Amino acid sequence: MSALFLFQLRRVGRNRQFLVFTVALPALFTLFFAQVFGRSADDGYQDYAAATMVAMMAYGAMGAALGATIRISFDRASGWLRQLRVTPVPTRTVVVVEILVGVLLTLPSLVVVALVGGLVNGVRLPVGTWLALVAVLWAGAAVFVALGLLLGLALEQKAAGSAIGIVGTVLALLGGLWVPVEVFPAGLRAVAHGLPSYWYAELGRDVAAGQPPAPVAVLALIGFAALAGALAAAVARRRPMYAVAG
Amino acid sequence: MTEPALDVSGLTVRYGGTTAVDGLDLRIPRGETVALLGPNGAGKSTTVNAVLGLVPHAGRVRVLGRPAAEAVRAGDVGAMLQHGGLPGEARVGEVLDLVRRSFPRSWPLDDLVVTTGIEGLLRRPVEDLSGGQRQRVLLAIALAGRPPLLLLDEPTSAMDVEGRRAFWTTMRGLAEGGTTVVFATHHLEEADAVADRVVVVAGGRVVADGSAAQVKAGTSGSTVSFTAEPGTCLDGLPGVTAVVRRGRTVELSTAEPEQTLRALLADGRRLPGLQVRGASLEEAVLTLTTASPITASPIGADR
Repeated sequence: MSALFLFQLRRVGRNRQFLVFTVALPALFTLFFAQVFGRSADDGYQDYAAATMVAMMAYGAMGAALGATIRISFDRASGWLRQLRVTPVPTRTVVVVEILVGVLLTLPSLVVVALVGGLVNGVRLPVGTWLALVAVLWAGAAVFVALGLLLGLALEQKAAGSAIGIVGTVLALLGGLWVPVEVFPAGLRAVAHGLPSYWYAELGRDVAAGQPPAPVAVLALIGFAALAGALAAAVARRRPMYAVAG
Repeated sequence: MTEPALDVSGLTVRYGGTTAVDGLDLRIPRGETVALLGPNGAGKSTTVNAVLGLVPHAGRVRVLGRPAAEAVRAGDVGAMLQHGGLPGEARVGEVLDLVRRSFPRSWPLDDLVVTTGIEGLLRRPVEDLSGGQRQRVLLAIALAGRPPLLLLDEPTSAMDVEGRRAFWTTMRGLAEGGTTVVFATHHLEEADAVADRVVVVAGGRVVADGSAAQVKAGTSGSTVSFTAEPGTCLDGLPGVTAVVRRGRTVELSTAEPEQTLRALLADGRRLPGLQVRGASLEEAVLTLTTASPITASPIGADR
């Protein structure tokens, strides 16, 4: 299991695109938004810089969790999952490793964006709040690991490749990670409330403000994760991971 | 241990409305080298996949005396699959290392690399491999656990002539060392040259089973070949079971060579390059796997 885990990590680590979109880009956005718009923000620089940082932590972690797990579709298309099936590696191990890799890879985005926020943008939070913020967003990213697995199992290689970008962008845009939902028209705000990305960022905003996460956000995320997980399991039952692509 | 390497009875696989494998029985003692022959869609691949537990099936499958899934988990089976492949964004050495670690006992890396002819490829990214190199790496994966049973589904399809020869030399070495080798192939010359036993599959059933010589002898037919103008009418000749054209050369498989020749010569036509000979394995398989007289392209010509 640990051999497969390290093997998978090394493979993702070779993917420059993955590192750019999940770590470098969110970190740059954090810097850019705070430096360009922060000084003129209505609610003061500190609040604006903190809100931007939390949104970008959510954006980066979401992209990492989705990107790492959707890749299972590529391993099906190449025939690798089928090949693994005729080695002693149990299919269950393959799935567990896939989940663990997705969970672990959200951490760099969270930590790097938090470091940029704290050290470069000067966001000031109590030490306990910093730790709680990273921990809560790390745990909450499970919903996107489940969603990524579902998409990776359900979609063919080409569709999965596009889904990484499209799903991430739509969830970020409509979930208020790039533009706060407060400036959305009412209809669009209702859409945001139906997306896991909104509740995920909400989790972070509460913790950054020194409050415990709102139960509604926690429940919504658990609901989304359970739904995606159940659907992924159903898809895998209908068409096993080692079945031929197409 | 006396259990056969492979013991399959009543194996049936259905895809939607079609029956790909239809109550197939096959028993392969340890140490044998067996070729599964037959045209596309005969059920060879499906049989291999079902034996490995990759497709849902009915019937009984025992691999070295136990259920297939158990044998795979114990590292007793190595397989090259038609739809198997290598992972992207990885180096050959990393893939081999991972697979070798998964087996309870593994083939020492240096020896495995030499045996499968992948020296110098270990640091190569998987994406940079040629078709033949890829097949050799897949063979190394199949052999990584030094399995007593090897199942190979069209193993040489991406190899050139040189690669094929090297591949079968490796297989002969393994077979001499006691490994049971079962391979599905289109290349009848491979079956003829390598296999102790040939199992001909058609319509999801075994239609002939024996040594290559026995299978050839079992179809008592002969081949009549000659050069003919394109479009020459060859319908209605007595005894003819199959007509194959290779350019201007016509090959007739016939159960009654004498009567076929009489009919051919009766209308006074010329037969330049006339040859009459006993059936080759290819013709034997063609005869066995086609119920009615047909005009067919030679098996394996599409590869």
